[in-house]
Amino acid sequence: MTDSKASPRDLRIGVYICHCGGNISDVVDCPKVVEAAAGFDDVVVSREHSFMCSDPAQEMIIEDIRKQGLNRVVIASCSPSLHELTFRRTVERGGLNPFLYEHANIREQVSWVHGSRPEEATAKAIRLVRAAVGKVRLLTAEERIGVEVLKRALVVGGGLAGLRAAKSLADQGIEVTLVEASPFLGGHTAQLEHLFPHADQARELMAPLLRGVADSSRIEVLTRAKVVGVEGYFGNFQVELEVQPRHIRGPLPADKLAQITEACPKSAPSEFDYGLRERKAIYMPYPGCVPEVPAVDMQSCSRCGKCEEILGADAVDFDEQARRVKVDAGCVLMATGFKPYEPYKGELGYGELEGVVTLAQFIRILGALPKDAGELEVGGRKIQSVALIHCVGSREIDGVHDPSPHRPLRTYCSRVCCSASLHAASEIRERFPGVNVFELYRDIRSYGFYEEVFERASRNRVVFLKYSDYEIPVVKAGNGEAALSVVVNDQLTGGKAVDVPVDLVVLASAMEPGDAGEIVGLMKLPIGSDGFLLEVHPKLRPVELAVEGVMVAGTAQAPMSTDETSAAACAAAAKAARILTRDEIPLDPFVARVDLSRCQGEGLCVAQCGYDGALQLEEIEQDGEKVKRASVNAVLCKGCGACVAVCPHRAIDIVGCTLDQLYRQVDGLCA
Amino acid sequence: MSAASTPETRILLITTADSSYPGADTVGQMHLGYPTNSSVIRVPDPVMLPERFYLYCFKKGFDGIVVMSSGAECPYEGSYERLAKRLDRLTGVLKEQGIDFRRVKLCAICTVCAASFVREVNQMAQLLDEIGPVDRDAVVLEEEPAARAG
Amino acid sequence: MSVQYTREVDVLVLGGGIGGLQAAVDLADRDLHVLVVERDTSIGGRMIALSKVFPTLDCASCITTPKMAEAAHHDMIDILTYTELESVERADGSFRCQLRRKPRFVDEKDCIGCRLCEYACPILLPNEFEGGEGARKAIYIPHSNAYPQCALLDIDNCIYCGQCIKACPTDAVHFAQEAEEIEVRAGAVVLATGYELTPMEPVRRYGAGKLPNVISPLLMERLIAPHGPYGKVLRPSDGKIPDSIAYVQCAGSRDASMGVPYCSRVCCMYAIKQAILVSGALPLVDVTIYYMDIRAFGKGFETFYQEAKAMGIQFVCGKVASISEDAEHNPIIRVERKEEGGEVCEDTHDLVVLSQGMVPAWKPADKVAVSENSYGFIEVPEEKIAPTATKLDGVFVAGTAAGPKDIVDTIVEAGAAAAQASAYLESSGWLQKTAAKRSYRTPEAASTEVG
Repeated sequence: MTDSKASPRDLRIGVYICHCGGNISDVVDCPKVVEAAAGFDDVVVSREHSFMCSDPAQEMIIEDIRKQGLNRVVIASCSPSLHELTFRRTVERGGLNPFLYEHANIREQVSWVHGSRPEEATAKAIRLVRAAVGKVRLLTAEERIGVEVLKRALVVGGGLAGLRAAKSLADQGIEVTLVEASPFLGGHTAQLEHLFPHADQARELMAPLLRGVADSSRIEVLTRAKVVGVEGYFGNFQVELEVQPRHIRGPLPADKLAQITEACPKSAPSEFDYGLRERKAIYMPYPGCVPEVPAVDMQSCSRCGKCEEILGADAVDFDEQARRVKVDAGCVLMATGFKPYEPYKGELGYGELEGVVTLAQFIRILGALPKDAGELEVGGRKIQSVALIHCVGSREIDGVHDPSPHRPLRTYCSRVCCSASLHAASEIRERFPGVNVFELYRDIRSYGFYEEVFERASRNRVVFLKYSDYEIPVVKAGNGEAALSVVVNDQLTGGKAVDVPVDLVVLASAMEPGDAGEIVGLMKLPIGSDGFLLEVHPKLRPVELAVEGVMVAGTAQAPMSTDETSAAACAAAAKAARILTRDEIPLDPFVARVDLSRCQGEGLCVAQCGYDGALQLEEIEQDGEKVKRASVNAVLCKGCGACVAVCPHRAIDIVGCTLDQLYRQVDGLCA
Repeated sequence: MSAASTPETRILLITTADSSYPGADTVGQMHLGYPTNSSVIRVPDPVMLPERFYLYCFKKGFDGIVVMSSGAECPYEGSYERLAKRLDRLTGVLKEQGIDFRRVKLCAICTVCAASFVREVNQMAQLLDEIGPVDRDAVVLEEEPAARAG
Repeated sequence: MSVQYTREVDVLVLGGGIGGLQAAVDLADRDLHVLVVERDTSIGGRMIALSKVFPTLDCASCITTPKMAEAAHHDMIDILTYTELESVERADGSFRCQLRRKPRFVDEKDCIGCRLCEYACPILLPNEFEGGEGARKAIYIPHSNAYPQCALLDIDNCIYCGQCIKACPTDAVHFAQEAEEIEVRAGAVVLATGYELTPMEPVRRYGAGKLPNVISPLLMERLIAPHGPYGKVLRPSDGKIPDSIAYVQCAGSRDASMGVPYCSRVCCMYAIKQAILVSGALPLVDVTIYYMDIRAFGKGFETFYQEAKAMGIQFVCGKVASISEDAEHNPIIRVERKEEGGEVCEDTHDLVVLSQGMVPAWKPADKVAVSENSYGFIEVPEEKIAPTATKLDGVFVAGTAAGPKDIVDTIVEAGAAAAQASAYLESSGWLQKTAAKRSYRTPEAASTEVG
């Protein structure tokens, strides 16, 4: 062993042995340990006490530090999980750096497990104390790492989760930049109508939240904006955004809005209505949407100038260009949401047979019907019977379901489609009592209080047919009796094939991850096998991503209902707030540190590091030469030590647990 | 308890701060006994230990080493795989040096795995009863690199 | 009775289970002072007693203990265990909370958790932490992961022999200790009071809790836990290792006749998890799950369910009508097998676990003016946009106190409650009002003592 570092600089070590009121001293001969410790190199004080954690004992240690000039302390007592922090504070109160302290566990590891062999236990206690003394000699004074924090959050996505998170942050006094890729806030929730279980109107429900975000002085909203560049790390992200032009300056009075939409000659399929209807090239999806400025779809627009005629030249600028915006943010909240899965052509008749729609589309159809409509009419056809098919694009089983040529197998359950289908079924039955409704399901997953949605559907005499995991229903053209026919092997009647003639088939299709954009690649955000953003740990850190300083809010993480989305968004805001309300985040110093006098810049350590950006080679000047050397980002390093093992020059170590310290511990245990 | 408290051999238990060290505490709280010739050291993750560390332990006086990793509960990304690979390489080195590779055992111990903890220590003690101490003179330990002058 | 003193904190969190602890830590990390009030003898709640958790099969204790330690060691968190909340009243823009700290008969300051009293005590009693299996003493530390590691004396079963007093190295045992009344002023309140299992005693058709080999899922958790009472799965009547285990789903959920019409959200998943764990522990065991619908709706749940099926765990669709037993106490299940044409069968098993649902563990009535929903859980009137906000401004609810939910959803909701409470403190003016005092507070005591 080289002992280059062991040249002691006037070490004065104090050793304290706790009796723990007999818990230790009934087995371990404490005076003997005290005596042995007194003989170790550089130990100038060796004492015992019946309770080292008591105030008088702590005062004794503090006095020793001051009067005897101790500069290292070892305490042998119970497990450090109980009192390591207590004693670090004691040492600090005595005026010593709290990291110049080492613990020996002679209760849980000695007296409590070797009670029947007191002599061997005493010998082991001496070994443990010797090892601790060996280690404490090499400990160095350390400071906690302070990370400066930019006090702004970037929220990506302006649907329910993004709005809720942004509002929550602003309410806690935090500045927010909210970025939405589409021209309007509200996301897919704004496209819903009556939400289960209590039939609240979605846009009415969201209105106060939208207004709150739009009116908040702490929230900057950027629509048609995308993240195109990210630099920096936790606490200090520099984000570059590209903001597409709006071409219209607003807000506009309602009559002008009506006039321009009337006047605009061009149209395109409406995103808001999932392509069921057309909208104009200049449009607002629904009254009261935010921002209250129409968007222009330049791909459809012919620049005819009709809108300019009505609004005046100041309000319209067809030549407005995209701009780049820089945002400095301490945290990023990913609220990029979901999209409703659109079945491929031919999947359960979708896109081939008339009268096959998705549940998302059907909700738009119901929403567009006049309140007093006496009949359910879809595409000009009167509907007398409806089949809702569950699990379309969800719960697929590898080896059972045929892999589609159009997309990968989707194995997860989309959580909300059961309740949403049952809710839609009840709405049909209650508004149009003459329409028969069939639910084709595998398991009814109206979990929790949503069970009442199931009960209500049952009371409304919806007919339930259960299909097995192994036999998907077939949708085909009807044989005259009705437009369509659904064939299902009903498990509730012994698996017999039932042919259900219906006029409309509604597919309760899956929730797919939304398009999170380039930021995923730029920040290397982890994606799970289901395609959704992957949290660090579902229970320990459920709303945080492995990239430090990035949280996930809502359905970007997994399918969720609206109330769960709101809760998740607020939880993400809570995690961001703990960072953004401080000037500096203090972190433990137990991370990797490079000894530049040893590093040769080979980079073996870098290859071992599992944390992006934590360890890299950097060019520095050494002895007048430009050389590459390992460099640790103390904020991103987790202190696992994978780098330590592979360095051939012993140039990298973990603070507070260096290899030399461990070698001295081994020496102490073996001596 | 097993007969394994042979004082002539020594066992090192390498524990992780998050899992097996608290596991050792649980063993203590339950007052379960294990051989007195075993000692615990605490590291963030055993992946930090180079092959040389194990040889050093054998050279200095240990005869068996139980690496108590966090296994599937490991908080560090991909670390368990790296550790397993390192111990594979270590096995090769031990074979070359004529040291019984069973002297190093990898296992996963969580915060409440008290019974498994004790079982692992006892099994190692039993093995050492059978195969005895390491021939320390035969352990070849490479010199450590020195710091560059200056 | 009653040493009186008054404290002031930013937020009082009622309940020291996983939800309460998460809310407390999230608030404290924002430099808000939190007092956690737990009525049980230790923090950690239900989760600390679980074996492993679905769908990742992480060790429950390994996830709970770090959160317990984080809260226990946090500069900004104070914890009072074995303390009941008596009332919360709104006064001058804050809340006056009356607490009653029950006597442990052991001084928490002095006890060092050494268990010498426990070893000295001659009285053996059933161990509640192990679901009544195994034994504890009349003076005891609740369990190995308890916080605080402080003994308490079960005075009702104590014979006053004084052995514990003699054994205690710190003179911490006091037979004459009295309850303490504590008054706390708080800027906001978070209720995280948790759940209990649906009681089975009134349910005659499932044996009214009298069949020895029909057990609760929490007892099963202990039986399969690595540090459980026996270290293996044994059935209660005769200690036999079971060859055939059945789970009865919706035992106390989705059943209006029991007053529990709602679904309890977790029972499908914990039954599947226990089935997987017990199959691992007893490779030859047959496990059958009798269910109405399998509700594997959360992240990673569906694949977990499919894996269980692939492992050979039997799933039988049908609501169990009744449970009886034969002369050897083998439970007999009567069930209509829905997918086999409604055939009624009687199946005999060695051990039956009732997948009991969740009911609220604590009622706010007469204590806090929050409303209850029709199921008796604390109501969140605008849950879709104002999650965790109760009817009473400034009082928030997290976790199973607001309705059945799993650990992940509880932890997420706890974070939401923390965000909502801290926003409330911002808007109510509490933070501005207390700003001056704030700077004087020492890190040692999270709550300042006034008056």
